[in-house]
Amino acid sequence: MDKVADFRNDLAVALRIALLRIRGQMQYRASFWMQIVGNFFVNIAEVLVTWSLFQHFDNLGGWSLEEVILLHGLAMVTFSLGDTLSNGVQSVPQMIREGTFDRNLVRPMSVYLQSVVSEVSARHFGHLTQGVLLLGIGLATAPIEWSVGRIAYLPVIILSGTAFFTALFTVEAIFAFWTVNGVEAVNAFTYGGSDLGQYPLHIFRRGLRLIFLWLVPIGFMTYYPALYLLDRADPLGLPRAASFVAPLAALLFCLVIRFGWRAALRRYTSTGS
Amino acid sequence: MTTQIQARDLSKRFERHTRRAGMVGAMRGLFDRASETVTAVDAVSFDVARGEIVGYIGPNGAGKSTTIKMLTGVLTPSSGEATVAGFTPWSERRKLAQQIGVVFGQRTQLWWDLPLIESLELLQHVYRVPEQRFRENFTMAAELLELGSFLNTPVRQLSLGQRMRGDLAAALLHDPQVLYLDEPTIGLDLVAKTNIREFLAHLNREAGVTILLTTHDLADIERLCKRIIVIDHGHIVHDGDLARLRDKIATERTMTVDFDDPPTLDDQLETRGMRLLDQTGQRVRVAFERSRLTAPDVLTALTEYGSIRDMSIEEPSIESIIQHIYKA
Repeated sequence: MDKVADFRNDLAVALRIALLRIRGQMQYRASFWMQIVGNFFVNIAEVLVTWSLFQHFDNLGGWSLEEVILLHGLAMVTFSLGDTLSNGVQSVPQMIREGTFDRNLVRPMSVYLQSVVSEVSARHFGHLTQGVLLLGIGLATAPIEWSVGRIAYLPVIILSGTAFFTALFTVEAIFAFWTVNGVEAVNAFTYGGSDLGQYPLHIFRRGLRLIFLWLVPIGFMTYYPALYLLDRADPLGLPRAASFVAPLAALLFCLVIRFGWRAALRRYTSTGS
Repeated sequence: MTTQIQARDLSKRFERHTRRAGMVGAMRGLFDRASETVTAVDAVSFDVARGEIVGYIGPNGAGKSTTIKMLTGVLTPSSGEATVAGFTPWSERRKLAQQIGVVFGQRTQLWWDLPLIESLELLQHVYRVPEQRFRENFTMAAELLELGSFLNTPVRQLSLGQRMRGDLAAALLHDPQVLYLDEPTIGLDLVAKTNIREFLAHLNREAGVTILLTTHDLADIERLCKRIIVIDHGHIVHDGDLARLRDKIATERTMTVDFDDPPTLDDQLETRGMRLLDQTGQRVRVAFERSRLTAPDVLTALTEYGSIRDMSIEEPSIESIIQHIYKA
């Protein structure tokens, strides 16, 4: 019981810290908006690639432009939310190098949540805005037969995906406890995976599909839920239930990462580096 | 007298990877890494009673911060035991955190982008300090540390001295029983140093806070610490007051002697255990080990070179002892 109460308090404090810091940054209005607008345009390349693809082909693996935009929206919203939430965790390697990580260990608050709010920035809001726009366009224009189930499932998809990407970004920090140079390898899964999650999974080769379904389950976060929204059968032959695996897969993935994070902390407190 | 900090045979060993020389060595290192064990802290034991202020000093790399990291729960020791405020630091880290305050002189505990006041208010929530208690502690700290003029300034814009005062305030809002201070006055000007010392003395006197501090500053020790623990190469080499440290470490005294006429000295001095420091005219200064010779011995030996008009003896200064420790 104690632990639950502690966690709830930690969560409330973390939220308070994050809001105060965002508010602080808003006082530098110009730089605040520049960051967001800049981030919006930096990430627009992905959309342009898709748009130019559709100048030459009228579908991508059988999916129309509107349907692919929906998938882009789902992937981008969840990725950028996860990116925002894990901002501070991603800076853990730097904090360790600079010796500022120790303070997270001498306060009565979850080390993970303290790391989360150790760096709060509106940086990724541009990417998020773009994702929200694409998702809106996708939802409005793609052939979706709206039902209570589909409406109710949409927030579940977003939450699961956000949790998943937050955990995925945490992998980087975990690796950093063991090796300085391993981080690049993890990037292939985070950024590579999110790129891949924006396209219909069945257009990729079997090897990639297997990795991004069963090892890093990005496919279950965006592609399979989208199949349900669009009422499409899975060309890869998994049953409809695969569309509803997202929350479970996210939970499992988070538990594995939690285990890794704890091991990383144990390593830190035994080696001090 | 209650014990607030107890360390028993506390040891910390690190595995350090060693590099082999040359390209071939580097290639080998990829597959089979050579490592050596470094003992940073070796079977350290001490007790600190409630309300004590203890100076924990020693040269860089002697094991000071490793000890403090173990006593704050940041590091798990390789062996040994410790209790701080009734908790085992590394296994009850979170409970302990509620009872201790930590100030690392060069690294702020505050949020660099927030005004000082907001950082302090956030810490109220982190430590779940009741409103009434928070107001009292805040008012006390703001007054004694004179925070008023920069409470609304973002931490990154504070001067080092202001930031240090802010950090001190931040460390005691939750009524910690034990305060760890790592170089609390480093880089500050004289006035700021004095203010911080007075504040710490006040805190210790009025609230009975136990303080363990590391410092390179002799004045910190003279003003605050009745007791100092000296650590070197991971071992405690002294635990007691300054006077006893002098007896133990600085054993060389200096005698200044004025002869009636300039004497002609020879190397007989050396063989008798004296060391000639300098000679200017009639005045001669010699150093000698207090364990080997007494002052009358030295005086008797010197009378052989002429009649003596006056003499004086100097004990080593505390400053030179501290320098000696940090040079070791």
